[in-house]
Amino acid sequence: MIRTEEMLLNVGPQHPSTHGVFRLVLKIDGEIITEARPVIGYLHRGTEKLAEDLQYTQIIPYTDRMDYLAAMTNNYVLCHAVETMMDLEIPERAEYLRIITMELGRIASHLVWWGTYLLDLGATSPFLYAFREREMIINMLNEISGGRLTFNYMRVGGVKWDAPEGWIEKVREFIPYMREQLKGYDQLVTGNEIFMNRVKGVGTYTKEDALNYSLSGANLRCTGIKWDLRKEEPYSIYDRFDFDVCIRDGGDAWARYHVRLSEIGESLKILEQAVEQFPSEGAVLGKVPKVIKPPKGEAFVRIESPRGEIGCYIASEGKKEPYRLKFRRPSFYNLQILPKLLVGQNMANLIAILGAIDIVLGEVDG
Amino acid sequence: MMEGLLAAEASWLNFGIFFLLAVVLLFVVLGFVTYAILAERKVMGFMQLRYGPNQVGGRFGLLQTVADVLKLLIKEDTIPKLADRPLFILAPVIAFTPAFMVLAVIPFTDKFYFADIGVGLLYYIAISGLTTIGIVTGGWASNNKYALMGGMRAAAQMISYEIPLVMSVIGIILLTGSLNLNDIVEAQKNGWFIIWQPIAFIVFLIAAVAELNRVPFDLPEAESELVAGFHVEYSGFRWAFFMLAEYVYMFAMASLITVIFLGGWLPLPFLGFIPGAVWFALKFTVVIFILIWFRVTFPRIRADQLMEFGWKVLLPVALANIFLTAILKELLNIF
Amino acid sequence: MLGLAKGLTYTLKNLTRKKLTYDYPHEPLPLPDRFRGIQKFYPEKCIVCNQCANICPTDCIQLTGKKHPDPNKRGKIIETYDINFEICILCDLCTEVCPTEAVIMTNNFELAEYSRDELFKDLVWLDENDENLRKVNKA
Repeated sequence: MIRTEEMLLNVGPQHPSTHGVFRLVLKIDGEIITEARPVIGYLHRGTEKLAEDLQYTQIIPYTDRMDYLAAMTNNYVLCHAVETMMDLEIPERAEYLRIITMELGRIASHLVWWGTYLLDLGATSPFLYAFREREMIINMLNEISGGRLTFNYMRVGGVKWDAPEGWIEKVREFIPYMREQLKGYDQLVTGNEIFMNRVKGVGTYTKEDALNYSLSGANLRCTGIKWDLRKEEPYSIYDRFDFDVCIRDGGDAWARYHVRLSEIGESLKILEQAVEQFPSEGAVLGKVPKVIKPPKGEAFVRIESPRGEIGCYIASEGKKEPYRLKFRRPSFYNLQILPKLLVGQNMANLIAILGAIDIVLGEVDG
Repeated sequence: MMEGLLAAEASWLNFGIFFLLAVVLLFVVLGFVTYAILAERKVMGFMQLRYGPNQVGGRFGLLQTVADVLKLLIKEDTIPKLADRPLFILAPVIAFTPAFMVLAVIPFTDKFYFADIGVGLLYYIAISGLTTIGIVTGGWASNNKYALMGGMRAAAQMISYEIPLVMSVIGIILLTGSLNLNDIVEAQKNGWFIIWQPIAFIVFLIAAVAELNRVPFDLPEAESELVAGFHVEYSGFRWAFFMLAEYVYMFAMASLITVIFLGGWLPLPFLGFIPGAVWFALKFTVVIFILIWFRVTFPRIRADQLMEFGWKVLLPVALANIFLTAILKELLNIF
Repeated sequence: MLGLAKGLTYTLKNLTRKKLTYDYPHEPLPLPDRFRGIQKFYPEKCIVCNQCANICPTDCIQLTGKKHPDPNKRGKIIETYDINFEICILCDLCTEVCPTEAVIMTNNFELAEYSRDELFKDLVWLDENDENLRKVNKA
């Protein structure tokens, strides 16, 4: 009889595949994980506490830095919350610009996920192909907002800038191009047997687990639950667009992969319609008081970010600064299921499972 | 010339000549490694819509690897405090030496070879197996958990893939009736073994990629899982030695594939006026390109699937190939 | 095997495609006009209204003013104006609130320095930072 003993392995915070400063304390038996304890907080900047001393406009740049891969949705959730409290009217053109930029951000975010996930699984090329398309999106967003990642684009009551000349055309041209590239992605990765073997049946959970762990976004839809806030509780002008909610039944990494890739297609559909319906003129910033002071009270709004449901709770005392600001950050909630999924898996699956959850550490730590 | 030398009596002069030739070969191989790394980075870059190195040494980055090696040589040589010091120092040597030793039996052309051993193929496979010990030693001596896991993976992988590797060439040995690599090349005059033994070729190629620890079988150093695998604690020239061993193996393995499947220095029909060395270089380059091409395209296979694939797919296929070859040889009697 | 072959053809096709690398340090990056780079400051335009310092989310702007030297004129003129680029996040809010466009964004973004002290930019430095200015500063 060979005497074996469990080994404590520290994965991260500096590990190539933890997507930032995320740490996992693993107990492993050979390569099999018997216990996993995630340690977070290395990127905690106290956004919520800082916000209590900031005016609402000043908080917007901070939201850029939470989910830095899809900063537009973060911008939006804060503005949306304040607008809900103040009951503001948003100009049509601003709504369209918001939708277009948010959907572009969603595509960019899913592209980063696709590239980095394949990078985790050992394939180097998809990352660069994904970044080719992402770079085009980033350039477009840079042109409209002046920032490549931290857009600081939305304002309470509208958006900061109108679309520059020819920008809408660029988006229109991008849509068929992106569809073409998606086919290439399928050709390169989706049918690859090695890839299929690595993700099929890995990190599987049931519908009940998904609901109990409060998962959202692709992590929820991969179990077959049709829940997308853009459809269920249409905010902004999402009710004007015709698109499908992508679901799969497997509940494994393979299903999540498909949900995310087909979501890019759905976002392109929304973009196509939004560009078509885009009003030719109009203001981009509504009538907003010079100093934004939401009335006393509280509000909670939630929207669908690329990673799941992002919520924003504001408690106001009628002052320039919020009394309390709280974000429901989807990455943080989605990460909770990780220890459960890891038990009994090996090191290679650890990467495949963690990657498929799609966390952004800026959002997990807040 | 080589034939005469090999048949000559043992003397200090002959020893000197062989020593000199070996040194020349070493430099040729080092030159190859320098430019193989560059070629790999260039091809990878081009396939990934980048240019690859293009700053050091002109537009094509011709001196990039030289600069990298220079940097590695002057880097601080770190040895972890709790490492097993003698083994830690010894491991890169154990890993590198067999890589260079196997080159002795490769016939580059019908005139240019260093040894004409009867069991050339067996020698190659036996010696190349020794590198595993170096890798496991390095992984263990580092006193690092990632390195240990990388070392264990390397041991498991190299041992399991050596078996299909050997089994797949048995078909060729049956057809040739010799383990001598020169004879194997000569036997391909009526057609390369890639045509007579396609199954063996596929099995051999897969097993060879696994032996080389290259994508999709790069588990021992799987960057995204084990950070750097068995060489995680190595730096400077010790690390360079591991890398050197890896690329010298790439040279040796590509040469071996050329010799046993692609007809070595033999020309294509009607193109006999081109010298054999050119033919060898051409075929060799194609094999290297395929290895790089694999690296660009594929994700990494998982450890348990790797084992399953090796034992449950490759080995039975290789065994079946032996039977098939034996039956065909008996029935058709072509050789 | 089919999937593997498909992937191989995809990468092979890309071998000859146009490369996307920016020749960055040799050629400046093409940036849109709206790009938010290091601020340019016009001391003569500043009316010392303090709005930029107030709106700054990271409190990186410090300014002091003094009485106008010409006794006939009212108002203040700027004396010192410092931006601490260790904490500035280039959010554009200072230029958004500036009533006289005395502080505007440029397209310069290269801020690497050998010492942290050098990231503390004063009025003179910000005034001399007058290349690649942003043309449209107000939406």
